[in-house]
Amino acid sequence: MSYLRLIWVFFRLGIINVLQYRANFLAQLLSTFLGLVSALGGLAVVFSYTDNLDGWKPFELVGLVGVYFLVGGLLSLLIRPSMERFMRDVREGTLDFTLMKPEDSQLLVSIKQIEIWKLLDIGLGIVLLVVSLVQLGNAIGLGQVLAFVIALMVGATIVYSFLLMLATCAFWFTRVDNILVIFQSMYEAGRWPVNIYPPWLRSSLTFLVPIAFAITVPAEGLTGRLTWQTLAEAVGLAVVLALLSRWFWRFGLRHYTGASA
Amino acid sequence: MVFFPGSGPAIHVLDLRKTYAVTDREAGVTAALGSLVKRRTKEVTAVNQISFEVAPGEVVGFLGPNGAGKTTTLKMLSGLLYPTSGTVEVWGHVPWKRNKAYLRQISLVMGQRNQLVWDIPASDSFELNRAIYRIPQPEFRSMLASLTELLELEPLLRKPVRNLSLGERMKCEIAAALLHRPRVLFLDEPTIGLDVTAQRRIRTFIAEYNQRYEATVLLTSHYMADVEALCKRVIVIHHGKLLFDGDLASLVERFSPYKTIVVQLEELQAVEVDLTRYGYIVSNIDGRVTLRVPKLETASVTGRLLADLAVTDLTVEEPPIEEVIEQVFSEGVTVQ
Amino acid sequence: MSGWIGIYRAQFKTSFAQQLQYRVSLVLWLLGLVLEPTVVLVVWTTVARSHGGAVGGYDAAGFAAYFIIQMVVNHITFNWVAWDFQERIRLGNFSPLLLRPIHPIHIDIADNITYKILTSVVMFPATIGLIIAFQPAMHPPLWAILAFGPALLIAWALRFACEWALAMVAFWTTQVAAINNLYYLVMLFMSGTVVPLSLLPFPVQVVAGILPFRWMMAFPIELLLGRLSVTDALLSFGVQLLWLGLSLGILAVTWRIGIKRYSAVGA
Repeated sequence: MSYLRLIWVFFRLGIINVLQYRANFLAQLLSTFLGLVSALGGLAVVFSYTDNLDGWKPFELVGLVGVYFLVGGLLSLLIRPSMERFMRDVREGTLDFTLMKPEDSQLLVSIKQIEIWKLLDIGLGIVLLVVSLVQLGNAIGLGQVLAFVIALMVGATIVYSFLLMLATCAFWFTRVDNILVIFQSMYEAGRWPVNIYPPWLRSSLTFLVPIAFAITVPAEGLTGRLTWQTLAEAVGLAVVLALLSRWFWRFGLRHYTGASA
Repeated sequence: MVFFPGSGPAIHVLDLRKTYAVTDREAGVTAALGSLVKRRTKEVTAVNQISFEVAPGEVVGFLGPNGAGKTTTLKMLSGLLYPTSGTVEVWGHVPWKRNKAYLRQISLVMGQRNQLVWDIPASDSFELNRAIYRIPQPEFRSMLASLTELLELEPLLRKPVRNLSLGERMKCEIAAALLHRPRVLFLDEPTIGLDVTAQRRIRTFIAEYNQRYEATVLLTSHYMADVEALCKRVIVIHHGKLLFDGDLASLVERFSPYKTIVVQLEELQAVEVDLTRYGYIVSNIDGRVTLRVPKLETASVTGRLLADLAVTDLTVEEPPIEEVIEQVFSEGVTVQ
Repeated sequence: MSGWIGIYRAQFKTSFAQQLQYRVSLVLWLLGLVLEPTVVLVVWTTVARSHGGAVGGYDAAGFAAYFIIQMVVNHITFNWVAWDFQERIRLGNFSPLLLRPIHPIHIDIADNITYKILTSVVMFPATIGLIIAFQPAMHPPLWAILAFGPALLIAWALRFACEWALAMVAFWTTQVAAINNLYYLVMLFMSGTVVPLSLLPFPVQVVAGILPFRWMMAFPIELLLGRLSVTDALLSFGVQLLWLGLSLGILAVTWRIGIKRYSAVGA
């Protein structure tokens, strides 16, 4: 449980650091709000012309957008800034400070940098989910909630492993400082259910850059579309990716420390 | 101050003043939360009524501890900052108007800031400067050749700047700054972070440039060696105020509070005799005694030493300049 | 004049050399540029299908044509000056630029054009790929095809001027990202980037008509699609040029006060 305490310490540091800047606070509030307007605005225009998008009803899509913000917020809170920080450390040679600490390097690297304001995004996601659930009213049974929660955790694990593997590439490709852009751009596509995309894009968003598992699958869980088969596949994929990313991390670390001058 | 007949000073500064408003922040979470609501500012004076003039071709050193106001003054002279009050004229131009004609005549080299493009060889950045400053080809070529020779740039020119060491990069930065043969050169800590050889090279180079092209040079530095090597005239700034403006020799002369007398005695005598009667003993090794003596007593102490003891050798020295400067800072005396 | 040619030639050489070192990164940035119109294209095609084939005068092939052209126009007109500005100030690289006897905007112009040239190598096959995948259909008259070039050029200049003026907000605050987000939100909807303007609710269309954004994106697109009459096109050119002049004026003014501010505070 010292891991949790470690995470809490970094959290607290992040909070103090960030409260100093009043303008920053307002700006972050604004940014989250703008993200909301953009997403809902898009939905509003689309649904002024139709009442369902490939079977998805308006408030089901609101729920999807809620998952989009929730998962996006979770990733942007801790994982993404830490990965970016890690890649910069490799480039500038400051990774050694982290490696000398007596804790698991993968953990340290993954929680190093916090963007505390993304809590706003997470809050927004939860609000949207609640709104969606209330509007959908009926038929939210325990099974669906369970499926949703499992899908969410599984999706988060999959995406974390994926991002870790992308970032680990920094051990070799120091000149590609925006490799995470691959993920960012494709995450935007997750604002809509991946089923509407042509097969080539759908598979890319499922297997190449696992956005589908992060957003659409949990949303499917919530709206009762998720089959246990898909969920089992997701769990399987999560386990495989977690192990693979861990192995790749250690491989990269060995390469880095072996070659460091 | 003697100027060349028919031309005024190159640099004219009168009652220059620069103040900033700075936010007051404390540590801790409650203070941080408080600052979300209310912000306190206080005014800081970086430069406080400074006046001086520099003749064409002079090399002037600015001395002062960190935060004294040297860099701020230099930035105002080069047009990057505009002052809270006061007048500045450099070759008849007002710097912060940033006339193209003015910018073509000056150069500012700041120790930690680069103008060279990071990922490409220095020679490519030089080409860019040539175009921007509209340097005619023949002049550019000859200037580049002499700079390459003086700074030993030949092996460095085709390497990407990011692959150069700090010293090599600094040499290239200085070269880039001089390609357009500026009449006025502002150097802010040009040798900071460099090894001794590189420092010496750059000092020699600046002296040469000043000689050859009669450029006016204003230099700030922490390193006394820079100032001693290059500047006959120094301006001491502390807490934004001008404490001293004159030549280095008279600075030392006026402010050294003591002198050092080094006597060579027979070893036995050095140990037996109580030498504290003559002054403060700095060291006493193998008969070589170093005494620190208040300046006014130098002559009398010297006389007594020669009369009382069997002296085989005696020298009178000035204290190291660093100590003099420290003295000036701590006493905060204003001169001139 | 020859001085300027020399300056730009040298600047282009520098930008090329520099950007080529980061060519993989350049391609990665393109991913978003290609993906975004693809996503919106699919969404609207889906809407069209559920609406009986077409929405607001656009059928599936029409949407495909719209958004593929949008991708090209966006690629040509986009810039990142606000980010560059903020970074320069943050890292202290801005002061050296002020010491040179030319305006810093020229570096950004050269950098921008260099990027477009280098990345067209990838954008071209991407466009072909999308055309094959989505089968667009359009029937522009010849004059519209010819007018597209100038419209695109002015759109580039207009967007560049507007965003350079906006970038100067970096002199007053470090929260450039938030202001940029606001700008982009408005631009996304009001320029025809995420949805053709004719599909927006009428009050929103009115607002879009008085903002400069539609002349950065929607005008060249609609022109090439052949959806504008000659009179419309001529009028649009006029408004576009008007906006260009206005934005250049605003740019000059904001630069002047921006520099004053920078010189007072933190050079």
